[in-house]
Amino acid sequence: MSVSGRPRSVGGHLVRWTVDTVGVLLALSAGTFALVLLARGDPAAVLAATRAGRPATPEQVEAVRSELGLDAPAPVRYLRWLADTSTGDFGLSLRTNLPIGPEIADRLTVTAGLVAGSVVVAVVVGMTVGVAGAMAGRGPLRGVLRIGALLATSVPAFWLSYLLVLLLALRWQLVPTSGMAGPATWVMPMAVLGLPAAGVLSRVVAVTLREAIDRPYVLAAMARGSGPLSIVLRDGLPNAAGPILSVAGMIVGGLLVGTVVVEQIFGWPGLGAYFVHAAAARDVPALQASALMLGGGFILANRLADVAQILVDPRSRRTSGVRSDATSPRWGRPGRAGGRHPHQVRSETG
Amino acid sequence: MTAGGGRRKIPAPVRTALVGLPLVGFALVGLLAPVLAPADPAANDLSASLLPPSADHLLGTDQLGRDQLSRLLHGARISLTVTAAVLVISVTIGVLAGTVAGYLGGWVDRIVARIVDMAVSLPGMLVALAVIGVRGPGVENLVVAMSLWAWAPYARIARARVAGLRASPHLDALRLLGAGPVRVIGRHLLPPALAPCLVYASTDVGSIVLGVATLSFLGLGIPPPQAEWGQMLIEGRPYLASAWWLAYPPGIAITAVVFASNLLGERLAVGDERPSVLRWVLPSRLRLPRPRRPAPGTPATVESRRSAESRTTVDDDVLLRVRDLSVAYPRDGGIRRAVADVSYAVRRGETLAIVGESGSGKTTSALAPFGLLDPGALVAGSARLRTGSTARELIGLTFRHRRHVNGRQVGVVFQDSLAVFDPLRSIGAHVDEAVRNAGSRGRRAAVRRISEDLLHLVGLPDPATVAGQYPHQLSGGMRQRVQIAVAIAGEPELLVADEPTSALDVTVQARLLDLLGQLRDELRMAMVVVSHDLAVVTRLADAVAVMYAGRIVEYGPLDTVVRHPDHPYTRGLLDAVPRPGAAPGTRFRTMPGRAGAGPDDTSGCAFAPRCPIAVAECGHDQPVLLPVGPDQAHRSACPRTRAAGAPPPLLALGDLDGG
Repeated sequence: MSVSGRPRSVGGHLVRWTVDTVGVLLALSAGTFALVLLARGDPAAVLAATRAGRPATPEQVEAVRSELGLDAPAPVRYLRWLADTSTGDFGLSLRTNLPIGPEIADRLTVTAGLVAGSVVVAVVVGMTVGVAGAMAGRGPLRGVLRIGALLATSVPAFWLSYLLVLLLALRWQLVPTSGMAGPATWVMPMAVLGLPAAGVLSRVVAVTLREAIDRPYVLAAMARGSGPLSIVLRDGLPNAAGPILSVAGMIVGGLLVGTVVVEQIFGWPGLGAYFVHAAAARDVPALQASALMLGGGFILANRLADVAQILVDPRSRRTSGVRSDATSPRWGRPGRAGGRHPHQVRSETG
Repeated sequence: MTAGGGRRKIPAPVRTALVGLPLVGFALVGLLAPVLAPADPAANDLSASLLPPSADHLLGTDQLGRDQLSRLLHGARISLTVTAAVLVISVTIGVLAGTVAGYLGGWVDRIVARIVDMAVSLPGMLVALAVIGVRGPGVENLVVAMSLWAWAPYARIARARVAGLRASPHLDALRLLGAGPVRVIGRHLLPPALAPCLVYASTDVGSIVLGVATLSFLGLGIPPPQAEWGQMLIEGRPYLASAWWLAYPPGIAITAVVFASNLLGERLAVGDERPSVLRWVLPSRLRLPRPRRPAPGTPATVESRRSAESRTTVDDDVLLRVRDLSVAYPRDGGIRRAVADVSYAVRRGETLAIVGESGSGKTTSALAPFGLLDPGALVAGSARLRTGSTARELIGLTFRHRRHVNGRQVGVVFQDSLAVFDPLRSIGAHVDEAVRNAGSRGRRAAVRRISEDLLHLVGLPDPATVAGQYPHQLSGGMRQRVQIAVAIAGEPELLVADEPTSALDVTVQARLLDLLGQLRDELRMAMVVVSHDLAVVTRLADAVAVMYAGRIVEYGPLDTVVRHPDHPYTRGLLDAVPRPGAAPGTRFRTMPGRAGAGPDDTSGCAFAPRCPIAVAECGHDQPVLLPVGPDQAHRSACPRTRAAGAPPPLLALGDLDGG
């Protein structure tokens, strides 16, 4: 993510982006692997005990240890582990003694569906509220939208779930309290995940759109007789897209992390719930597998948002032989008001 | 504006402090919990389980008969403890790492920056969960797990702050004086690096409290016997439906702390927002109070008196008549005018030039009738546009009605040729939009053909290629041509050009002026040209209005004004123009003194301080535009030259300050 001042072509950007992304993913994998080294207790002993159904003898533990290759030095084990995981082999769960790979694959679809639905909620609600906030004058509407958005980002997901369960499921009996069986059960998890994200998104949209609209090209558009809708859609939103995309990436990443809480509460058999179970049982291989998946998704979402910013801006498409007044190809990195404020993004992980 | 004005009474620092108040409350409650709590938070009393709120138990009891209020207060204490520990650890590590990296620079800095980038791009909650997953729950593990991701932003902030300070001469001096790195870092870099970090920390409280509560809720944070907010919620879960008092208080407590922290963070990060252009979309905003300063003894301008008389005699020839235009901006709690009592008229096919120094209000006077000013502007007065048989008042038009004027009856060419184009849209997209706004409906290809014709008309050799290019790919001169193409797309009767050639080099300027003159004649447009450059003016204009400090000081046919300037300012302006034929080494007269700021900054004639013929009365009598001689068309706002009868010879045209 280091920025050099030299302008690059799109190809150069993409190469750099790929190298950076692979670097961050490798760092994630190394960190994930290091969990084994941090672990309290001996995984071999735990697995041996699980197999034997009672505390294992030292010989059994040693057998498991060499079977798992735990007697090799750490770097060798890391490379071996990396090679295995890249083929989808995450080893055996210490808790269930079953292969983790297929389990993860099933749960991945559940989590992906949940995240996709929540993204729809976040984008629809967040964009609407954000555009309304940017268009509203200094009147009460703007304050209400702003406070509402901030409140949505401040409510802990688990408590919001309680409120929705109390209201929608118990009092009005509109939807079942938990489970994953048809659209009615989707409402609460997706709302709990999507609404705080919508709050974050709407703030960024409101601020950046307002900024993109306070520019001379909007006056010029007014001078040639363009209407407000055209100004917002053609000039405002595209020029605000950099920070919005960047935050959208963070939001998708945040949603992936948020599944940890929401799946647990609503009993969805997804990756997030798996992660919590693994953490509670100190099931290190399962923990590593789910951390790698969720963390990788988080990183990829952010990195894809970054590359989308480059592709969206014609000024980064370097054309030879033509005079270029482009200032910086990395214009899209949000500056002060871009909502990349880490606390805002972190707050919807809860 | 008025609605906003009343609300702004509380000063910003006080408002920020108010926002932070819940956080202070949180800290106090956390510190004083043992004193404040009415009961032992861990004291079970099964006979009193699940009691609703009462005088004995203000917030009821939980399933084990424990007092909810006491548990809530002690929950604040444990949250505060963990938060404080995490902040101390991460601020210390972050500020140290960032300061050292920023101070040393080079490879140390690159490595630290890389690590910080990685740490920031990893999901914090996942890291914390994973670490607790292998280490087990508990307060110490919780603090370690949360510090692991909380430190990175502090390192980033401190590094940026120190990198900014590193190059300062102050530090070089210290080093020359023999101060070692420890002393430089410890005494001169750490304190300034710490300040923004502490500000950020105040906004970080929310995410840490939320993280602690979330982890505890998942059973991975604070273990059960202790009261923690997330912990209380998960314990109360089975009794949710029957015992509401278990569900609400902890959630409200968490939300309040996180909300206050987020609000504080937003205030510190964004500051106060300016009003937006889109404010104009709301019609009510357009009805603005007339920002007239009560000016005793100021007579109405002649133009307004004259116009009141001539209201019955319809002058069909006048396309745009501006009367008593004033534009003001809110500033320093009050309202200051940028333009005062400006009146001018543009006849069909005629070109009016508005000239003056930068800041004299010429652009404002030209763009105000069409609503193309900064959104904060308050516009008063009248501007009537007569096209065909209909006349329309432009001041106070709604955004919707403005669209019938802008782009159809009036085209505008702005000064800054790069900023007025949307950088993300191609040239063709801009022209297409203008063509559509002017009423052409139809397929994309048909519209594009019209656009290419327009681009060809303004002298761009390869319209199809230009249409596919983006604004930054064209030269300034080409962009100005594109602006002209956009402006004439609706075949307007009036073209307003604000400094159309200022940023261009001289040869390009000349060709562009030729183009403007040619298009004006071919399309029979009237023009308003704003310029500080008399060469531009003499080339295009039929009439000229000279502005100084937000007022018109001289107004008349170009020939008359240039040949027989009346106002001392006009004469000074003409004297400052280099002329061909002047002897080499000629020094042209420059005007002494500084340009006046605005009409409200001085009483009397704003030019008086710089005027060679000023007398004491000029300082308090506001001069008005009065006809010069028998010619009603030539008017000037200087009673002194009039009093002297003929223009005194001291500053006549051609009077060179030879040397």
